[in-house]
Amino acid sequence: MSLELIRTFSIIAHIDHGKSTLADRLLGLCGALDPRKAVDQVLDSMDLERERGITIKAHTVRLLYRARDGREYTLNLIDTPGHVDFSYEVSRSLAACEGAILVVDAAQGVEAQTLANYHLALEAGLAIIPVINKIDLPQADVEGTREQLADILGLDPEEALLISAKEGTGVPEVLEAIVRRIPPPPGAPRGPLKALVFDSFYDPYQGVVVYVRLLNGRVHPGMKVLLMSTAKVYEVQQVGVFTPALRPVEELAAGQVGYLTAGIKRVADSKVGETITDALVPTAEPFPGYREAKPMVFSGLYPVEDTAYGALRDALEKLRLNDSAFTFEPESSNALGFGFRCGFLGMLHMEIIQERLEREFGLTLIATAPSVRYRVVGAGGETVEIDNPSKLPPPDKVEVIEEPYVRGVVFVPVEFMGAVYRLAQEKRGEHRSADHLGKRVHLTFDFPLAEILVDFYDRLKSLSRGYASFDYDLLEFRPSQLVRLDILLNGEPVDALSLIVHRDKAYERGKTLAERLKGVIPRQLFEVVIQAAIGSRVIARETVRPLRKNVTAKCYGGDITRKRKLLEKQREGKKRLKQLGRVEIPQEAFLSVLKP
Amino acid sequence: MVAAGAADPLSGAAGPLAAATREGPAGTPGIYLHCLFCLRRCPYCDFNVALYREDRIAPFLDALHRELALYGREAWASRTAVESLFFGGGTPSLLEPAAIGGLIEAVARTFPVQPGAEITLEANPERLTRERLLGYRAAGVTRLSLGVQALDDRVLARLGRGHTAEEARRAFGAARAAGFAAVSVDLLYACPGQDLAGWGRGLAEVVGWGPEHLSCYALTLEPGTAFARRPLQDLPDEETQLAQYRAMVEGLGAAGYEQYEISNFARPGHRSVHNQRYWRGEEYLGLGPGAHSFLGAVRFANLRSQLRYRARLDAGLLPIESWERLSPAQRLGERIVFGLRLAEGIPRTWLAEGFAAAPATLERLLARYGEAGLLLAEGERVRLTEAGRLLADAIGADLLPAA
Ligand SMILES: Nc1nc2c(ncn2[C@@H]2O[C@H](COP(=O)(O)OP(=O)(O)OP(=O)(O)O)[C@@H](O)[C@H]2O)c(=O)[nH]1
Ligand code: SF4
Ligand SMILES: [Mg+2]
Repeated sequence: MSLELIRTFSIIAHIDHGKSTLADRLLGLCGALDPRKAVDQVLDSMDLERERGITIKAHTVRLLYRARDGREYTLNLIDTPGHVDFSYEVSRSLAACEGAILVVDAAQGVEAQTLANYHLALEAGLAIIPVINKIDLPQADVEGTREQLADILGLDPEEALLISAKEGTGVPEVLEAIVRRIPPPPGAPRGPLKALVFDSFYDPYQGVVVYVRLLNGRVHPGMKVLLMSTAKVYEVQQVGVFTPALRPVEELAAGQVGYLTAGIKRVADSKVGETITDALVPTAEPFPGYREAKPMVFSGLYPVEDTAYGALRDALEKLRLNDSAFTFEPESSNALGFGFRCGFLGMLHMEIIQERLEREFGLTLIATAPSVRYRVVGAGGETVEIDNPSKLPPPDKVEVIEEPYVRGVVFVPVEFMGAVYRLAQEKRGEHRSADHLGKRVHLTFDFPLAEILVDFYDRLKSLSRGYASFDYDLLEFRPSQLVRLDILLNGEPVDALSLIVHRDKAYERGKTLAERLKGVIPRQLFEVVIQAAIGSRVIARETVRPLRKNVTAKCYGGDITRKRKLLEKQREGKKRLKQLGRVEIPQEAFLSVLKP
Repeated sequence: MVAAGAADPLSGAAGPLAAATREGPAGTPGIYLHCLFCLRRCPYCDFNVALYREDRIAPFLDALHRELALYGREAWASRTAVESLFFGGGTPSLLEPAAIGGLIEAVARTFPVQPGAEITLEANPERLTRERLLGYRAAGVTRLSLGVQALDDRVLARLGRGHTAEEARRAFGAARAAGFAAVSVDLLYACPGQDLAGWGRGLAEVVGWGPEHLSCYALTLEPGTAFARRPLQDLPDEETQLAQYRAMVEGLGAAGYEQYEISNFARPGHRSVHNQRYWRGEEYLGLGPGAHSFLGAVRFANLRSQLRYRARLDAGLLPIESWERLSPAQRLGERIVFGLRLAEGIPRTWLAEGFAAAPATLERLLARYGEAGLLLAEGERVRLTEAGRLLADAIGADLLPAA
């Protein structure tokens, strides 16, 4: 097949601007959808994606399109996630493309991830087709959005296509623009095989299914291939394309996008960015590879029942097969027993992993409050990194504590600027710059990552009535005045409840935390004393009075079943409690640390 | 529970329910008759109750007789001795003595009722004259359970009861005058507008009457009741409720009553034979809308709606709505949690059996409760202490064996 007739592109946008819906329409126009089985956002195939209505993983599909010039083109479409936690998915998708459709919601305008993803596409040197979506909405502001494209992104507003992905208006023009404005892939069918791995997933039957885009050469079943970064050789078992279901083909050739299986056991063995080549005639120049996604948020996961430790480890291993961005290693806690310290890309990623562990593997878990990774310079000058607050050495052994900072970008209508400043200040943000762009302002701050993890985004959204958007990039570690806040129950420190906070906030946090724990720890047979302490100094104290009365007065008329079921329920409820010495504490207790 | 659906127990369908109803009890069961009607619904009540209307009585009685007759057709009926009969409700005392007599006779025709069997009738003070009570006695009732609830007219009004304190006093007198030698009085504490002193006064007065038996329940806000729907402002706080409970235990103990179950007190020899069956995990057959039964290892319950209950009987079928076959572990669990409500406690072996897979857990729990003074493990038996009784549900949930 001639490279002339191939186009490979991603759809990128801020979250919820309609990427997946546009993908649906493109699939529909190219006959890749069975109209009787149509669901919305077909490419969002994971249960979680469907339930939450968001894209978590990039999805790839091959379309056949007969253009107005009479020729049939092969379009390789990669739908990407919009959420900032998964922006690494966007960058790796872009590396496999020549073009990007940049979708902007006409009612929301340009937002933080619009800008971030646009810059990623520019850096990757892609042809960009701006598309203004949702023009059917009564509150759509097409002119305003066009102006933003020009003012903020520097795009030619005349190039923007106007569409409603929902209703299909204007979508045929998008297909034509793809063919006309995006260049065909480079590459040489005759050279030695050189293929880029841009994604992969684990299938229990076939092993890892590797997503490849071929620059040079061809690949077919039976061929011996070399994965250049690991120097491992595999025999290709199957090659195919995405329709979006996997469909085997005889071979893939330069310029094509598809998948291959080769008995690879773990996703981590076929890293994204990897170069696959012919084992006999390897290419001289592998792809540069890219920065691996590194976990930024850490949390301890513990089974509620000790006996489920093995099951949790197996489940984590299975998930890891498919998600190389998340890490885990065994740890133990005096309060929670044996568990794992897990690393995630962000809070959404963490929530998703936890939910999958509970749902797909039937585990009941306790998660400790998320923490970032700190760098501790000891009194002797040695440096250690800790991702668990309870591992922080005592104050006299610590010279400096450093924490990760991010450069945060807030996009917000001018009238909310004041409120954003106040929030940023509360979150220890250092103001860097402000750019007025029409009615909006583009603000940059440096924030400690720990401060923006939990409720920052929600508060930003609510103080701006939904108009603010936010994006961030990791900066370096910077020294901060940090202390460890400990929680003691009946005098015993509970390591899993410790947290690291800024010195100026410690007192407030300790007080609210003790109060909140009082609210969630159920009354028990004994009094429970809750204390918050910094070192040996107790800064807050609360007590949970003992349970005095818990008895059904009347067991009426032989309805024993109902009574038994109530007790069974009570017992089930207790199963979710963790026994700490004599104190039983519920899972919410660990979550209450979360809220600032 | 699994809805019985089309699997009609009498039509020969196989299954645990059919086996239970066809093979009958393993031992001597008690019989419960649910008398559905009340003059009004009290705002705290979640029992299966229908409003009393004269024209509803005859069809209801007719249905009850037919349900009984269906069991009478079973071979086991004639060889099953019955040791207790209980008319509960609703308000059974709304039924005429003749109607009660007719039911007692029908039961006795169906099952051999043991001589000296306990036959209890629940009664509300209103309309309870000496003549009527004489009629019940003549019909065979041996024990009267009187729904007094409180002796403070303000509290009675808050409870939505249809009688005054004075009517309650008179009703008790009438019961004695009619010759009832076993009378039980029902009282409620933790009532809206009731303080410790008020509760103490009512209790003392009832003790002065000298009933053989008392059932004293803490008012509970059951979901779906009027009280649960609109929150009460003047419920006594937890301290007061605890004080009311303690005053009751002390006062009744001093007056010679034994607290043989958490909420039940009796003079020696006057425990309720029928109610003990429930707590001991023994068998009983319930008749009437919504009545519960336990035969063999199967628990089942009748349709609650009187119309659907009757329609089932019209079709010649047992009016059963749901059933459940207990696993050995569930059965053991019931005996443990209900047995703990009794002063006699439970054999330690039951717990050992329930926790056969986790003996260390059991030891830890027993040690913890023992230390806290909530539970006594003396020799062969395990009992709750006075403090432990107030936590019977929390402890019971812990000691329930895993099913
Ligand atoms: N009115 C209207 N709604 C649209 C249009 N396109 C998408 N939507 C709606 O916008 C919401 C988000 O659409 P998606 O296609 O899931 O957005 P996305 O960009 O893929 O979202 P993420 O993958 O989570 O970043 C859905 O409720 C769509 O139905 C449109 O043209 N008009
Ligand atoms: S009299 Fe008894 S059964 Fe009838 S409504 Fe009142 S509490 Fe319920
Ligand atoms: Mg999407």
